[in-house]
Amino acid sequence: MTKYIIRRFLGLIPTLFIIITLSFFIIRIAPGGPFSEERAIPKQVLDNIEKRYHLDESLLKQYGRYVLDVLRGDLGPSFRYKDYDVNHYIGISLPNSMVLGLISLTLAILLGIGTGLVSATRQNSTLDYLSMSVAVIGISIPLFVVGPVLMYVFAMKLNLLPTSGWIMSGDSWKTMLMPVLTLALPYFAYIARLSRASILEVLRSDYVRTARAKGLSESVIMIKHVLKGALLPVVSYLGPAFAHIVTGSIVVETIFRVPGLGRHFIQSALNRDYTLIMGTVIVYSAILLIMNFIVDIVYGFMDPRISYR
Amino acid sequence: MSEGTRQQPQNPFGQPIKGVSLWTDAWRRLKKNRMAIGGLVLVTLYSLLSLLAPLLPIHSYKHQVLSHQYLPPSLTMSAGQLLCAREEERLLDAAKNSGRPSLNDEEKEELARFTQTIENETMVFDGRTVSIHRNRYLLGTDALGRDLLARIIYGGQVSIAIGLVGTLTAVLIGLIIGALAGYLGGTFDYISMRVVDVMYGLPYMLLVIIFMAIFGRNVINLFLCLALVSWLTLSRVVRGQIISLKNSEFVQAARVVGATTGRIVFRHLVPNTLGVVAVFTTLQIPSFILMESFLSYLGLGVQAPLASWGSLVRDGVDGMNNYPWMLFFPGLAMTVFLFSMNFLGDGLRDALDPQSKNRL
Amino acid sequence: MQNEALLRVENLKTYFSTDDGIVKAVDGVSFSLNKGETLGIVGESGCGKSVMNLSVMRLIPSPPGKIMDGDILFHGKSILGMSADELRTLRGNKISMIFQDPMTSLNPFLKISTQLVETLRLHQGLSTGQAREKAIQMLRRVGIPNPEKRIDAYPHQFSGGMRQRVMISMALSCNPEILIADEPTTALDVTIQAQILEIIKDLTATLGTAVILITHDLGVVSGMCKRICVMYAGRIVERADTDDLFREAKHPYTRGLIQSVPRIDKVTQRRLYSIPGTPPNLINIPDCCPFHPRCEHAMDVCRRTYPAETDFGNGHSVSCWLPVDAPQKRGGSGGIE
Repeated sequence: MTKYIIRRFLGLIPTLFIIITLSFFIIRIAPGGPFSEERAIPKQVLDNIEKRYHLDESLLKQYGRYVLDVLRGDLGPSFRYKDYDVNHYIGISLPNSMVLGLISLTLAILLGIGTGLVSATRQNSTLDYLSMSVAVIGISIPLFVVGPVLMYVFAMKLNLLPTSGWIMSGDSWKTMLMPVLTLALPYFAYIARLSRASILEVLRSDYVRTARAKGLSESVIMIKHVLKGALLPVVSYLGPAFAHIVTGSIVVETIFRVPGLGRHFIQSALNRDYTLIMGTVIVYSAILLIMNFIVDIVYGFMDPRISYR
Repeated sequence: MSEGTRQQPQNPFGQPIKGVSLWTDAWRRLKKNRMAIGGLVLVTLYSLLSLLAPLLPIHSYKHQVLSHQYLPPSLTMSAGQLLCAREEERLLDAAKNSGRPSLNDEEKEELARFTQTIENETMVFDGRTVSIHRNRYLLGTDALGRDLLARIIYGGQVSIAIGLVGTLTAVLIGLIIGALAGYLGGTFDYISMRVVDVMYGLPYMLLVIIFMAIFGRNVINLFLCLALVSWLTLSRVVRGQIISLKNSEFVQAARVVGATTGRIVFRHLVPNTLGVVAVFTTLQIPSFILMESFLSYLGLGVQAPLASWGSLVRDGVDGMNNYPWMLFFPGLAMTVFLFSMNFLGDGLRDALDPQSKNRL
Repeated sequence: MQNEALLRVENLKTYFSTDDGIVKAVDGVSFSLNKGETLGIVGESGCGKSVMNLSVMRLIPSPPGKIMDGDILFHGKSILGMSADELRTLRGNKISMIFQDPMTSLNPFLKISTQLVETLRLHQGLSTGQAREKAIQMLRRVGIPNPEKRIDAYPHQFSGGMRQRVMISMALSCNPEILIADEPTTALDVTIQAQILEIIKDLTATLGTAVILITHDLGVVSGMCKRICVMYAGRIVERADTDDLFREAKHPYTRGLIQSVPRIDKVTQRRLYSIPGTPPNLINIPDCCPFHPRCEHAMDVCRRTYPAETDFGNGHSVSCWLPVDAPQKRGGSGGIE
C-alpha cells in the first residue's frame, strides 16, 4: 500500500514541473507582457518586475529562480496592480472559490449517489424514469443558462434571494443557495447516472447472485456487497470532476458576483496580467494534483485488487 | 409450412433464419427506445434547419434595424403594430401623469402621424427596398433590432458545425493515437499514455482560455484548442479495445498472411472499435458545443457578427431583467438540442452494447 | 429407505421474455432427489440446466424471467409459495449452491473471512469468533493450506482451484441438506478438476448431503452420480441410473453424447463423432421434439408433437417416439462396448 502511495505521489511531480515551466515561458514570450516590445506598463510595475526577475541573469538562472520561488510559495508581482503581488490576490479570492466548489461537489455527491441508489433499486419505475430524465437535462443544460434563469426567477421576479454577495464577505447564507445549486447541478446529474448504472451492473454480477444464494437479505447485500464495488466508478470520476468544477466556477462566480479566483481570471487574461493568470493556473493545478492524488489513494483503499498487489 | 415463395428462409422449426450484422441489430434495438428516437428526430430537425438556413423564409440574422430593438416575441403582431402599441402606451402614461384618463386630440394626432410613418418607412437591404415594419418577429429582437429566431438558427449553424468538426478532429486524433498505442505497445504506448496522464492533470480549460486570450479569438484557434483537449478519453478507450482485440485469431490470421501493421490496425482492428467511437462521438458533440458556448459566453469564442448559442445567451444575460426572451429562447434552443443528443447517445450505447438490458 | 423425496420438482416451467420473443428455457421438467443421493444433470450449453437449478432456489432475475408453472417441493413444502423470510432461511442453510466461475462468484472487495463468517452468523447464530473458528475448520477440510492465515486474504490472491474450494467450504459450512453444484469444474484446469470433484464427493458423503451435479461432461457424472437426467432444449429427454444409461441409452441424443466421448481404449481410424447440427433457438419454438433436426431416426410424428414419456422400469424413462426395439442405424448401439 505504501508503495502505491509513493508511486502515485511521484507521478505528480513531472506534471507540476511542466506547468511551472509552461508558466515561465508564457510569461516571457506572450505578446503584451513586460518582456515584449510593447512596454505598455506603468513604470513602477516594470521596476518591480525587473528587480524581481533579475533580467540581467542568464535564462537558465532566471528559470531556476522562478521554480524555486514558486515552490516556496511566492508567485511574483502582478503585472497590472502595482501595490500588491499575485499571492495577495490569490490569497483573498481562493478561499471563496474553494468553499463554493467544495460545498457544491459535496452536495452533488450526496444527492447524486442517493438518487442513483433509489433509481437502481426501483428500476424502470416512474420514479426511475423521472429522475433519469432530470439527470439528462442536468447534464445538457449549460451552467450559464441555469445561473441566469435561476437569478431571473428567484431574485428578480420572486425577490426571494439576493442577486449578489457572498456569505464569507458577511452577507446572509442565502447568497450561497443559487451559486451552489447552479454549480452542483451538472455533477449531481452525472453522478446520479453513473451510480445508477454502476449499481445495476453490480446487482447483476455473479457475486451478488452468490450472496443471494447464501440467504442474505437485500439490505445487507446492498450495503455490504454492492456499494463498495459500485461506488468505485464514482470515486474515479471525482478526479475529472474537480477539474471541471474549476472551470464551472468561473462562470458561476461571474454570474453571481462571487469574489472568487475564477472571476478575476478572465479579466486578468484579457488584461494580460500574466503573472496573475499563470499564478492562478499553478495554484489550480496544484490543487487538482492534490485532489487527484487523494482520489487515487481512496480508490486504492476501496479496491483491494490494486493495493494488495 | 413451405408454400410458394417465402420472404425468409426458415429452419426446421419454422423459425425464420436471418443473419444480422452488428448495425442492423443495433438499429432494431434503437428503434424501440422512444427517447432516443425522439432525440434523433429533434437532432435531424436542427440539422436540417441549420443546413437549409439560407433558403428559409426568415429574416436576416445580421441586419440591424435599430428602431426595432428589444421587441418582444409575437405570433400575431408585426413590428409596426408593436411599435405603435408601445407609442400609444407611452402617450397614455404621459396623459395619466397629467391627470387625464385618455388621449386628447393633440396626442391622438401625434399617434396617427407616428402610425403613418411606420406604415411608409422602408429600408434598403442588399439592394432591395423593404417595408421593414411589416416584419414579424416570432421570437423577438435583440439589442440591435436583429431577429432572434434567425440568430438562433444561424447561431445553431455555427455551434453545430463547431461541435461536429471539432469532434471529428478529436476522434481522428484519438483514434489514431489510441489504436497505434494499443497495437504497438512499448515506447510509443508508454509515452502517449504519459502525455495523456499529464494532460488530464492540467486544468485545460484555463489554458484554453489563456490561449484564446493571447493568440486571438478566431474560429481556427477555437477548433485547435478544443480538439487538442478532447481526444484524450477516446484514445484511452480505443487503446483498451485494441489491446483486448490484439490477440484474437483474426488478427493472427492477418499477420500470418503477411498484412502490414498499418493494414492490420486500420483495416481490421479499428472497424471493430467503431461501436465505442460512435457512442463517444454522439456524446462528445454536445460536450464540444458546451465548451465552445462557454468560451463564447465569456467573450472568447466566436466574435460578432457571427453568433453562436453561447454568445446569444451572453447577450441575453445583459438584458434579462427587462427582455427575458433574449435569454430564454437561445437557452431553450440550445438545451433542447443538447439533451436530444444526449438521449440519442445513450440510446446508441444501449443499442450497441445490449448487455445492459435483457441479461439472462 | 425414504418414502418421501427430499426435493421434488414437478412440471417446472421457467420462461424469459426478451425483445425477440419468449424463451422457454425450462419447459416442463420433473425430477426428484432423495436424501444423500447424487443426481447428475447433463446437457449442452443452453439446454436449461442452470436455469432449472436457479429456479429451485428462486434465484431467477424476475424481469425478464418468470416461473410460469409447476412446483418445487422441499420436504413436501412448496418453495414457490414460501415467503421471503422463509426463503432466506432455506438458502445457504438447507440448500446451497456453488457456481461455475469462482473468479466472479466471490466478492472481490471483501476478505473471504467476511464472506464465510456472514453465512455462519446468519444461519447458525454463532458469534464472530466462533464463526471464524468454524470457517477455518471448513477451509482445512477442503484442503486449503495454512487456513488461519489465508482466511484473511482476498479472493484475487487465490488460484482458481483454491477459490472453488473456498466456495465449496462456504456452501457446506452450514451443513445443508442439498448441494447444487452448477458446472463446478468447467472453468478449471483438467488436473484441478479431479481434485475438486474428489473434495465434493468426500465431503458430501461425510456430511450426508444430497448433491445435484450439473455438467456437460459425461466423464464427470459417470464417476460421481448414482442417477442421471439428460436435458435438451429445456426438457429432460432421458433419465436413468448411471450404469443403465451408459449401458443402454435409449434416446438418440444420449446415444450421440456417449458416442462423442473420445476413447483411448478403442482403436479406430474413423473420425471423432459429433452430433450433427446445433442446439435450437429456444425463442418461440413450436410443439415438437426439439431434437428432430439432428436425429437420424426422425419421423413425421416427431415434427408435430412432443413425445410422451415411456417408462422402462427401474427408474429408466425416455421421451422419444422411437419404438422400444427399433433397429439402430449407424453408430452401433450407442452404449459402452
